Amino acid sequence: MRLPVTGLCFCALLIAQPADVRTATLANGMKVLVQEDHNIPNVAMYFFFRIGSRNEHPGTTGLSHFFEHMMFNGAKKYGPKEFDNQMEKNGGNNNAYTTADTTVYTDWFPRSALELMMDMESDRIRDLSFDPKIIESERGVVYSERRTSVDNNNFGVLYEQLHASAFIAHPYHWPVIGWPSDIESWTMDDLKAHFRMGYAPNNCVMVVVGDVSTAETLDLARKYLEPVARQEPPPPVRTTEPAQLGERRVEVRKAAQLPIEMVAYHTPESRHSDDAPLDVLETALVHGQASRLYRRLVDKDQFALSVNAFRQNSLDPGLLVFNLQPRAGVEPARAEKALFEELERVGKEPLPDQELRKAKNQLLADHYRALKTIAGRANLLGVYEVYYGDYKKLYAVEAAIEAVTAADVQRVARQYLSEKNRTVATLIPETKESR
Amino acid sequence: MLARYGLGLAVVASASWGQVKLPPYTREVLPNGAVVYLMTRPGVSLVGFRILVRGGQESDPPDRGGLASVTAQLLRKGSSRRTADQFSDELDFLGGTFQTDLGFGPSSATTISGEFLKKDFDRGLDLIADAVLHPAFPDAEVQKLVAQRVDAAKSIKDNPNAAINSYFQSFFFGSWHPYGHPPDEVTLARIKRQDVVDYHQRVYCGRNLVVIASGDFDPSAAEPKIRDAFGAAPAGTAFAWPAQAQLKSGGQLLLVDKPDATQTYFYIGQPGIDRKNPDRVTLQLVNTLFGGRFTSMLNDELRISSGLTYGAGCQLQQPRLPGGIVITTFTKTETTAKAVDMALDVLKRLGEKGISSEQLASAKAYVKGTYPTQRLETSDQLAVVLGELELYGLGKDEVDDLFSRIDAVTLEQANAAARKYYRAENLTFVLLGNASKIREAAARYAPQVREVSINQAGWSAMQN
Repeated sequence: MRLPVTGLCFCALLIAQPADVRTATLANGMKVLVQEDHNIPNVAMYFFFRIGSRNEHPGTTGLSHFFEHMMFNGAKKYGPKEFDNQMEKNGGNNNAYTTADTTVYTDWFPRSALELMMDMESDRIRDLSFDPKIIESERGVVYSERRTSVDNNNFGVLYEQLHASAFIAHPYHWPVIGWPSDIESWTMDDLKAHFRMGYAPNNCVMVVVGDVSTAETLDLARKYLEPVARQEPPPPVRTTEPAQLGERRVEVRKAAQLPIEMVAYHTPESRHSDDAPLDVLETALVHGQASRLYRRLVDKDQFALSVNAFRQNSLDPGLLVFNLQPRAGVEPARAEKALFEELERVGKEPLPDQELRKAKNQLLADHYRALKTIAGRANLLGVYEVYYGDYKKLYAVEAAIEAVTAADVQRVARQYLSEKNRTVATLIPETKESR
Repeated sequence: MLARYGLGLAVVASASWGQVKLPPYTREVLPNGAVVYLMTRPGVSLVGFRILVRGGQESDPPDRGGLASVTAQLLRKGSSRRTADQFSDELDFLGGTFQTDLGFGPSSATTISGEFLKKDFDRGLDLIADAVLHPAFPDAEVQKLVAQRVDAAKSIKDNPNAAINSYFQSFFFGSWHPYGHPPDEVTLARIKRQDVVDYHQRVYCGRNLVVIASGDFDPSAAEPKIRDAFGAAPAGTAFAWPAQAQLKSGGQLLLVDKPDATQTYFYIGQPGIDRKNPDRVTLQLVNTLFGGRFTSMLNDELRISSGLTYGAGCQLQQPRLPGGIVITTFTKTETTAKAVDMALDVLKRLGEKGISSEQLASAKAYVKGTYPTQRLETSDQLAVVLGELELYGLGKDEVDDLFSRIDAVTLEQANAAARKYYRAENLTFVLLGNASKIREAAARYAPQVREVSINQAGWSAMQN
């Protein structure tokens, strides 16, 4: 791929080509991706389950995330605490994360622990335990996580309100961690039903990257994971978010040193053809100190302490969120006005060539940075397989970004960054008087 | 996205592993005293530059905490050849990065790092060297940045999980200690252009510079370019390290009142070790078991077995001067005393009962197994390692012999270190939460209690 301005090629950066990734689908429907990398004697093994808060219902919100935790609390062969104990004493560690669409288990370990990990993963996918005492204890852990990430975190509180206002019908309305009353009231039956529905091999993609032999990895997957029975997958999410008919606003009044403002626009799902133009748009607006919003809001007007934007991968249409922190003494409305002016301008005039090229260079360099580690690659292979429908699209990112024109960027800016399509959430510091 | 746990601590592999080694590199001292490291790592077509300027937080004047980091942030805001906008335009156009640290943690160097595509080696080096050695510090930019940092210091208090770290640092070390004055809204507001200019002239000189290039590049072509760029700096005077400072005595508690908090965040600290302490490998193993991994004693007790918190752990700080051994966790307001008591209980039990040979074997495997992905996988991780070796005067055996040193730790040594360093008396506490509900309980933990409001300027120190 040519870079018109610099005339140089990014292709040489590719750490690996799709040909390096071997795939197999087990008889029970689990898809396996393996990429060998012998740089360090370690392995990253990721399990992507296609179940998240999107598959929940009022009353059981947060269940997928709770399950993320419960998967470490004991199964048939490896009882309570054993997963972590065994893993750590064999030199490995782990984490897991939940989004609105997926629950992902992330294992990092020395190559010598590969068979143990396959055995332990298959044990918990097949035969998870449901001990009422452990469930109550884990409820406390999850509530503590909520207190930390939401209730006692101003960004967390505002983000939750923003989502709940931007989505009125689709399950993206509720937070991944769940509403407090739901965290307090899940029942054993809720948990068991959710486990059966979500944690089936046919609902999972397994990615292994690192110091392994592909043949041995696939053999172990067949030995340990293939015997796990397939299940009825989660029912399709029927609800489509209706088009927004006008600007929505929500306020949070809370003790704070500084206000926060978030502005969200509905944007399409990851697989949509506007994904790459939206990435370029977002990058031109907020990435780096030469970006439009940094220059205007932080540097020139000095209305904001920081400005950033993000769009999470999503199976259904999601949001492009701008997040800014007004400076002390600056009315959020002034910062907001400047933000809207810049968003309007990018829809009115096409990006100059130099600015388009800059945004593409930044996106490409960051893309390659994310592929530097075995963990980064395992994650991205899974993300592309699940959200984009094919891991090979990871290796087509460069082409997709290069194909974006200034006209594309202008079009998506006009189409999505409209007043009617936006939700504004403002956190206003509460003083003693305003209470 | 919600992660299963948020502890930033971890350390590794099976007994069948061999020793890990640092990849080959070169070290050269330029005539002006600057030390240059080159480590080529072909594979990923990126090149990283990591510049250390000796001093860091230790060079901050106590009444101007944050000066070193403000100076570093201003490097890109105009030079003799570029305006701030020109720098950003060039950097962003290359898809490059330019990062400096914010000066909060106990640090002995300012770090400036940048990463570029392999093809942009020359332009990247030029940008970094121009910023580091020839900044103009336009007054308007100084004023703008200082005002931003003052607001940012205030906004940290909206995130108790981050704020408690600075409260603790200030309270634990004390204002006279080089690590005891993390930047706050008062010390930052005092910083003027002349302070920055003087600081740069005094500290950014050959004798204080360490320049590390790592990644995919041709070392024979790179060496003269780096020598030209950084060898031109005046040799200057080597930074005079502050002498060993006494730590504040323990038995003290700081209560930070945040009336809207529904959770109490707490740190419990005691004196620990410096970066060269001969017990460091042993202590790393002990701390892994006590509070450095998911199944650690603290996390097992406070999270896994009781559900009191999302996470509990223990930091084993190892700065140039002795740092702290610090228990960190949080719990809902109502269970504050229960959680503090439980943490103290776990601490006491470590000293009394020690650890078992099975636990020690597990910690050894864990520290070795996780080491490669944390320290040796990418060229930027390797640059961090090289920088530490130079800054603290450690040899490459720090990495190359690490696994054999881990293997050599005996159960007797581990238990002696646990008894010596993990004491259950004379502790320093910081509790951040709703004081009206936890004040009474807090008073039980230390003979001396000091209370501040989160809305009060600064951290724990009396403002001067």
